Amino acid sequence: MNDTFTERRYDIARLAIPEWLLKVERLGKVYGPYDDEIIASTGSERDTAKSSINGSVVAAWDVSFEVAPGEALGIVGESGSGKTTVLRCLAGDFTPSTGSATIRLGSDDVNIFDVEPAQRRRLRVDTVSVVYQDPSEGLKMNVTAGGNIAEPLTAAGWRNFSKIRARASDLLARTEVPLNRMDDLVRAFSGGMRQRVQIAKALANSPSVVLFDEPTTGLDASVAAGVLDLIRSLLEEHRIAAVVVSHDFSVIEMLTSRCLVMHHGRIVESALTDQLLEDPHHPYTQRLVAAARA
Amino acid sequence: MRRDPVLEVRRLCKSFVLHAVSGRSVVAFDDVSFSVAAGEHVALAGMSGAGKSSLLKSIYRTYRPNSGEVWLQIHAGKYVDMCALSDIEVATIRGHEIGYVSQFLRSEPRRGALDIVMKSARQRGMNESDAREAAADALQRVGIEERLWDVYASVLSGGEKQRVNLAAGTVHPPRLLLLDEPLSALDPDNRERALVLISALSHRGVAVVSIFHDLEAIRRLATRVLVLERGQLVAERRPDELDERLAAAAR
Repeated sequence: MNDTFTERRYDIARLAIPEWLLKVERLGKVYGPYDDEIIASTGSERDTAKSSINGSVVAAWDVSFEVAPGEALGIVGESGSGKTTVLRCLAGDFTPSTGSATIRLGSDDVNIFDVEPAQRRRLRVDTVSVVYQDPSEGLKMNVTAGGNIAEPLTAAGWRNFSKIRARASDLLARTEVPLNRMDDLVRAFSGGMRQRVQIAKALANSPSVVLFDEPTTGLDASVAAGVLDLIRSLLEEHRIAAVVVSHDFSVIEMLTSRCLVMHHGRIVESALTDQLLEDPHHPYTQRLVAAARA
Repeated sequence: MRRDPVLEVRRLCKSFVLHAVSGRSVVAFDDVSFSVAAGEHVALAGMSGAGKSSLLKSIYRTYRPNSGEVWLQIHAGKYVDMCALSDIEVATIRGHEIGYVSQFLRSEPRRGALDIVMKSARQRGMNESDAREAAADALQRVGIEERLWDVYASVLSGGEKQRVNLAAGTVHPPRLLLLDEPLSALDPDNRERALVLISALSHRGVAVVSIFHDLEAIRRLATRVLVLERGQLVAERRPDELDERLAAAAR
C-alpha cells in the first residue's frame, strides 16, 4: 500500500485539470531608466515603487501568472499597487518594459507583446476584451448602444447590417439592457446601464480572454450588485479566461477562485481566494484582509 | 484485511504568524497523523481551541499547513498529496472529491439554494441537467421545500442554511466528507433526517471526518474517535468508550 503514496502525479485527464489559456511571464513596467540596482531599490520590502536612486517608478515587476478557460483570477491591492498597470499592459493600452503574455490560439502560442500592431489590434477585437471601470474608456459616448456594439463586429469583418443588428440585440438582451434603448446615445444612459453596454460590447466577438478593471467601482451598491451578478453568470456560461482587478474583497470573493496580491508593483502572495481570506500569510495581505473584515 | 485509506494525514502541522502582533506565532495543531478508510467515520473530539476545526480546514486546504502531507485517494490505488499541488489543481480536486460542511453557510450573495447545490454537483463532474436533478433530490432529502429553492440563501433561517450546506456537501456524494458541527442549528426532526443521511453515506463508502458537539451524534455515527488536546492528538477511542471527561471535551 505504501507504494501508492509515492505516486505524486495523477491522471489529469480524469479530473480535467484545466490548462492555461493566458500565461504571463515576468511582466515589468518601469517609468524611467532602470537597472538591477534600481529595481532592487523598490518593492514591497522597500515599501515604495519609486527608486531613491534615480526616481524611476517600478509600477510592476516580475509579475507571472496563468489563467485557464472557465477560470477567473483576481488581482487585489490598494491603489498604486500596480494591479491596473498589469491589466493595461495585457489590454495593449500600455507597452510593458519587459516580459511576455502568451495566449493559446488553437495550437499556436502567441506572445501578444511581440506581434505586429495590426495583429495586436485584431487580437484586441476578437480575442482579448477589456471592461474598464470608466465606461467612457470602453465606449463612445456620442454613439448609440447598438453602434458601439457594431464597432468590434465590423472590425471583425461583419458586413451584413441586419445580422449586426441581430447580434447587438442578442447581446443587449443578455446583459439586460432594454432593447428600446438600443438606438439611444450611450451618453443618455445611467452608470450601471453604460457598464452593461460596455460588457455587451466586450463580448461581441466571443473573446477567449476578458479583463475586468474595477468593473463595479463607483456604482451604487444595488446597481453594482446587478452588474456583478451579470458578470458572474457570464463567466459561468462561457469558458472565458478572466482577470478581475479590484481593491474590493467582496468582488474578488464573488468572482474569482484564485488570487494575486500586489504591493508596490510586486506580487507578494498568490493563493486560492478562500485561503487568502481565511489564512493570509504576507503582512500586507493580513492588513488588507483585516481592513476588509473590519 | 484493512481497506486502503481514502485520506491519510501525515505529520501535519499548522501555525499562524500574526504580523500585526509583532509576528507572534500561534500553533493550531502539531504533528497530527491519522487515516480514514472508505465507509469509516472518524469523529474529532476535544475542547474548543483544541485545533479540531483548523485540522478540517487544513485538510480542505482553506488553511495552508506549514508542514506534513494530506494524501487523498482520487481513484483506486491513486493518491495525491494535497500539500504538493498547485492552486488550480487543489481547486479542481477538492471540488471534485471533497464535501466540506461548516457550521455556517457562507452563502454567496444573491444565489438561491438550488443554484448553490447545483454548482457543487457541477464541480463534482455532473452535467447541467444531471446536476439539477441531483440538487433537487439532495434538497428534498434534507427537507428544504421546493418553494424555497429559488430564494436567496442569505435570507433563509439558520437551520435552513445549514441544511442547504449539507445538501451541497453531500450531493453526488464526494469521496471524502468533512463535517464541522453540521447539525448545530437543526430542530429534532431535521436533525434526525441529517443523521440518517450521513449514516447512509458511510454505508455507501464515503469517508467522513467530523466534529459534533453532541455525544449522541458521535455514538450513532462515528466508527472511531480521535481526541485532540491543545493541538496534539492524544488518544483514540471507540465511540462507546467515550467517558464523562471525553464527553465533556467533546462538548
